[in-house]
Amino acid sequence: MVRYDLPIMRLAVSRLRRALLFGILAVFAAYPAAQSRPSIILATTTSTQDSGLLDALVPRFEKERGIGVKVIAVGTGAALRMAGSGDADVVLVHAPTSEQPYIQSGDLIDGRLVMHNDFVIVGPPSDPAGVRGQKTVTGAMQAIAARGVFISRGDQSGTHTQELALWAAAKIDPRTVKRREETGQGMGATLNVADQKRAYTLTDRGTYLSQRNRLMLAIVFQGDPGLRNIYHVYAVNPARHPKAKLAEAKQFIDFLVSPAIQDAIGSFKREQFGESLFFPDALPARR
Amino acid sequence: MDAGTLVITVRTLAISGAATLLSIIVGVPIGYALARRQFAGRTVLLGFINTGMGMPPVVVGLIVWLLLVRSGPFGDFELIYTPTAMVVAQFLLATPIVIGFTTASFQSLSPRLIDLLRVLGAGRVRMLWLLAREARLGLLAAVMAAFGAIVSEVGASMIVGGNLERSTRVLTTAIVTETSRGEVERALALGFVLLALSLVVNVALTIAQQRNRP
Amino acid sequence: MDIRLEDVSCRRGGRDVLGIPSLSIASGRVTAVLGPNGAGKTTLLRLIAGLDRPYSGKVLVGGETADARRRCVSYLFQEQVFLRQSLLDNLELGLQLHGASDAEARERAIAGLQLLGIESLADRRADQISGGEGRRASLARALSLASPVLLLDEPMAGLDGRTYTRLLDELPPLLGAFAATTVVVTHDREEAFRLCDDVVILVGGRVRAVGTKQEVATNPRHREVAEVLGYTVLTAGGCLVATPETGFTLAPAPTALSAVVERVTDVVDHWEVVATIGETRVHVRAPRSDTPPTPGDHVWLRTSVMYELS
Repeated sequence: MVRYDLPIMRLAVSRLRRALLFGILAVFAAYPAAQSRPSIILATTTSTQDSGLLDALVPRFEKERGIGVKVIAVGTGAALRMAGSGDADVVLVHAPTSEQPYIQSGDLIDGRLVMHNDFVIVGPPSDPAGVRGQKTVTGAMQAIAARGVFISRGDQSGTHTQELALWAAAKIDPRTVKRREETGQGMGATLNVADQKRAYTLTDRGTYLSQRNRLMLAIVFQGDPGLRNIYHVYAVNPARHPKAKLAEAKQFIDFLVSPAIQDAIGSFKREQFGESLFFPDALPARR
Repeated sequence: MDAGTLVITVRTLAISGAATLLSIIVGVPIGYALARRQFAGRTVLLGFINTGMGMPPVVVGLIVWLLLVRSGPFGDFELIYTPTAMVVAQFLLATPIVIGFTTASFQSLSPRLIDLLRVLGAGRVRMLWLLAREARLGLLAAVMAAFGAIVSEVGASMIVGGNLERSTRVLTTAIVTETSRGEVERALALGFVLLALSLVVNVALTIAQQRNRP
Repeated sequence: MDIRLEDVSCRRGGRDVLGIPSLSIASGRVTAVLGPNGAGKTTLLRLIAGLDRPYSGKVLVGGETADARRRCVSYLFQEQVFLRQSLLDNLELGLQLHGASDAEARERAIAGLQLLGIESLADRRADQISGGEGRRASLARALSLASPVLLLDEPMAGLDGRTYTRLLDELPPLLGAFAATTVVVTHDREEAFRLCDDVVILVGGRVRAVGTKQEVATNPRHREVAEVLGYTVLTAGGCLVATPETGFTLAPAPTALSAVVERVTDVVDHWEVVATIGETRVHVRAPRSDTPPTPGDHVWLRTSVMYELS
């Protein structure tokens, strides 16, 4: 039996009650506050999500600008389609050829070059297809088609689009490559599959580096100009999609191309991996 | 239905069908034993089985993935990202369901029926067969529940199968892929195929179940 | 095939439900196990069938340990138990499990149904028949197997009056014809005496009397046995009640009760004597060979025998 007649007890109980009351009020007060903060939908690619770059940048943006961001990480194709149907406010993508139609149609406006990273071809360290000896990316793709197993993203992402472009450049119809499989999944999952199946795959350097520790895959080809991965950010045009939040989207674009954030992009995980994952491109003078 | 969808549908049926079949082969005798025998820890075991009936597929998928990856204990078999791996995961998901339903349906039979068959001299296998026929209402419900659970499951299939277009993409993982590609119409079409598949299988099993029923 | 129990005990939930030091059931005869509810009758039957094992001791059927797998026993369960299929299929299944070929099984199943007069129900599903029909079908299945041992657990339970009477008339010749070692469990005295040659009285898991039905009926020996037999028990100085057959003496004996003869009637083969013990009037049949008592005589009635009270 608890006795409340001791003065100290009475004080404690009344404090407890007050704390509870305030707690409940605080929850009710905070709820509409959370609702009323403006927020935008960012449609982006799985590679930016998997590398952890967005996890580093988005909270900073939300804090500095007071705008919430809902990150939808899908393939570039889907991200662009979301923009095309007005389901997003801002897109961060890396497939310039696929981006063109949306720019021309007026769905995407205010595009800015943000950064690039590059693609590398990874494969089993033993390199059964002999990709390491190839001088061009075309030769590398031909060697894989002839002697290797290739795992494709197959999800119409920027990486997938890039891969298809590489096959086209090598004059190979990917559907005729016998040992080519599509995962339809993100880069991380696709790297896993390639690793387990002793296969080759095309990956952005960032995702590969961030997962290198637990993979057997090694870089077997890199550095060809055809392997550059260029990221643009666009706002969705409210003239075509009335619900698009242009002002907030512009804030996000400004943020990405601001000197401080460009620096942050360049140094993102540089210490951890000993090399940059992303190279800022928005401020040409600084390069 | 295009050729690609047909291939995925047939593969879905084959993988989930094989897993269901295996889970019946393993689960029915276990359920039968649980219903008929009394032993220490039986109730606890039943508790585990009942928990297993609601196992989250992704967790099962993760466990199977850890077991089958090349660095895992069964890595030497190189089963990860193969249809076999998916059958294994789906089998693990389906078996507790089959055991749970089987135990319940055998327990609902009159104990006198078992006495009768014993005194008529039915051997173990014959007994199991005759009782299974008596309990077929419950057993077919077990098959339907198990098949329905694994054919509509996506987490484990995605993790251990890898959603490879030519070998391990099934209807559910294809729906995920098409949705993330933004091909919503195709995803929806695949969804209808999946529903139709469940419908056909369940109607067929229900007909078998209700046949000769007064 | 005879049945022997040696030092058998049976426990359920830590409690002794059956304890039989020794019991023999003769081959080829019909033995009724008679006793009140909960006496252990069904337990005994299940031991003989080999469905349960005794806690200790031995149950021998034809000299070998009872085991359901030996297929030498037909068992009619108190509940009606059929598979969800036609009656004919149910009967055939039993015969097939007993090793009959398909053709032979069909022939004998039909014969079994005919024997009980229900061949018209052959194609009826077992869950679509009445209680009486089910009882007949169960009997048909048990008899069609022609096993050396036939165990019937309350074969007449739950039947309506007419069906009961008809089946009770039909059953004794059927059992006689099969000449199996038959054990009928029942709590009904009339049923027991109509069907059986021998009687085992089971009370509280113990055998209280065993013998031919005449022996047991005329010489119950124990109060419990007398009660099971439906006799009223009088406690005036001993146990007494009625027997139709024998039992009175004119000579005093230490175990006898004194009675006064009230009336004597000459029946064809015996004397029908009405006597009084104190306030209680009893009927006694005296064999013809004895000297007829006359009213007013003091006679001694054997207390090991029960007398019918009026």
